[in-house]
Amino acid sequence: MLWRAVRSMDVIMHSSSFLLPKLYQPVNKPVKNYALVVLNQHLPRFMPRLWDHANLKICADGGANHIFDEMYQITNDEDKKSTRNKYVPEIIEGDMDSIRPEVKLFYSSQGSKISDKSHNQETTDLHKCISRIHHCTPDDEKPNLCVLVTGALGGRFDHEAANINVLYLFSDMRIVLLSDDCLIRLLPRTHRHELYIESSVEGPHCGLFPVGAPSTSTTTTGLKWNLSESKMRFGSMISTSNIVQSEKVTVESDADLLWTISLRNLT
Amino acid sequence: MAPTAPTQRPTMRHSSAFLLPSTAPSSPAPGPDDAAVALVVLNQPLPRFAPLLWSRAAVRVCADGGANRVFDGMPALLPGQDPDEVRASYKPDVIKGDMDSVRPEVKEHYSNLGTRIVDESHDQDTTDLHKCIAFIAENYSATNKSNLSILVLGALGGRFDHEMGNINVLHLFPSINIVLLSDDCLIFLLSKMHTHEIHVEKSIEGPHCGLIPIGMPSTSTTTTGLRWNLDNTSMSFGGLISTSNIVEEDKVTVTSDSDLMWTTSLRK
Repeated sequence: MLWRAVRSMDVIMHSSSFLLPKLYQPVNKPVKNYALVVLNQHLPRFMPRLWDHANLKICADGGANHIFDEMYQITNDEDKKSTRNKYVPEIIEGDMDSIRPEVKLFYSSQGSKISDKSHNQETTDLHKCISRIHHCTPDDEKPNLCVLVTGALGGRFDHEAANINVLYLFSDMRIVLLSDDCLIRLLPRTHRHELYIESSVEGPHCGLFPVGAPSTSTTTTGLKWNLSESKMRFGSMISTSNIVQSEKVTVESDADLLWTISLRNLT
Repeated sequence: MAPTAPTQRPTMRHSSAFLLPSTAPSSPAPGPDDAAVALVVLNQPLPRFAPLLWSRAAVRVCADGGANRVFDGMPALLPGQDPDEVRASYKPDVIKGDMDSVRPEVKEHYSNLGTRIVDESHDQDTTDLHKCIAFIAENYSATNKSNLSILVLGALGGRFDHEMGNINVLHLFPSINIVLLSDDCLIFLLSKMHTHEIHVEKSIEGPHCGLIPIGMPSTSTTTTGLRWNLDNTSMSFGGLISTSNIVEEDKVTVTSDSDLMWTTSLRK
């Protein structure tokens, strides 16, 4: 019998329980601390659910326009004014070239902190927001913090790539990019990953992508087409249109991977 | 070891002239000297310039549910025309894929008009886009491939695993000029085997652009014609990638030791 030295590696556990209504949180699991960053694209239809979970809400520049214009339509509340008063971000951050003046004035009057970073043209709005959260969160609290981001995918491809790069630049933070159709997370190669699948809200379609650099060895469990010390590379094999078949998916790789899973039609 | 000196690599020229508005009174057929354009429509809402590209294309292929998008979406983009006439004249040459998305009545409508239906439901190993690109490459080999551009609608946005799979198709066919288009931008692959000259049509594209090393870091990329040019610069995820750059000149050149995705924004 061949004995193989088993490399002991820390495990990161991932869960999408933020997509469940707040009342239905899994018991006996640590309650995560959520922050929400809203970028400048149309809101996903489940935005109120994310807002309810988040302790800190930051609008990146024109993201504030979308909250101002669209929350009312999504919640279908009768009173536009009281909806606007209810969904007020703690911070509006960015270079302020997209936010409409009346929107900025409204949130400022409601108590939002306006953090004008127009002097800094070196980084994207998402980078600024994540950097702020990173700076303000003690290291020992980072593992328990999950930053939810809307509006990072679709639209201009260079923006999407820059937003994905923020996941790599802040790989010690748990950041989830969300759209109506899917979510993506970075799975750093430094850890083994356990993904707890909330099948009422996510799946079944999923994928793993070596966006930064190829993988010479990736192993998974819980998928329809599992990888077994498999190579993955753009220009060759990458895992797309895979299917989640278990409540728990595990991933271990020698390369940083992007994980994606489709979202069910959430209202 | 020094990489191949840039001057030794053949130059590949890229142009987005296919996006320029037509000045002819009726839909022009591509002439013998024109670059041949093929159009692939995937299963997402059509961008606003879909009718223009349709008129430019020598061959039009719908990937499965892309046929639904043409059937439903073309009349909406041409509100001044009778929907039935639009559905008759904007007829794909081929509908290809595993046929699990195309509506039966849509398939029948186009089949009755002469569209070739190619059922690939037995092949679950490749994506719909992969099947369409392979099909065009095989069936239109009479065309000088260096002159062939395959334009793809509906490859970006939506499910991220689909988008990644579509980008991987560009890597799997590096010698074919394939352009992915959305309402907001276009992207194509710059293979490391070439030096690239990108002719930017400033009336329709830009000013924003980017160079993104998908799949492999680049240790050396050099550009001209951008506001923030790269000079033997390293790029990688986790490090620097060139985004929110600006096209300054009509001609941009790129040389790299790694395959890069080039993107420009499209003007509204």
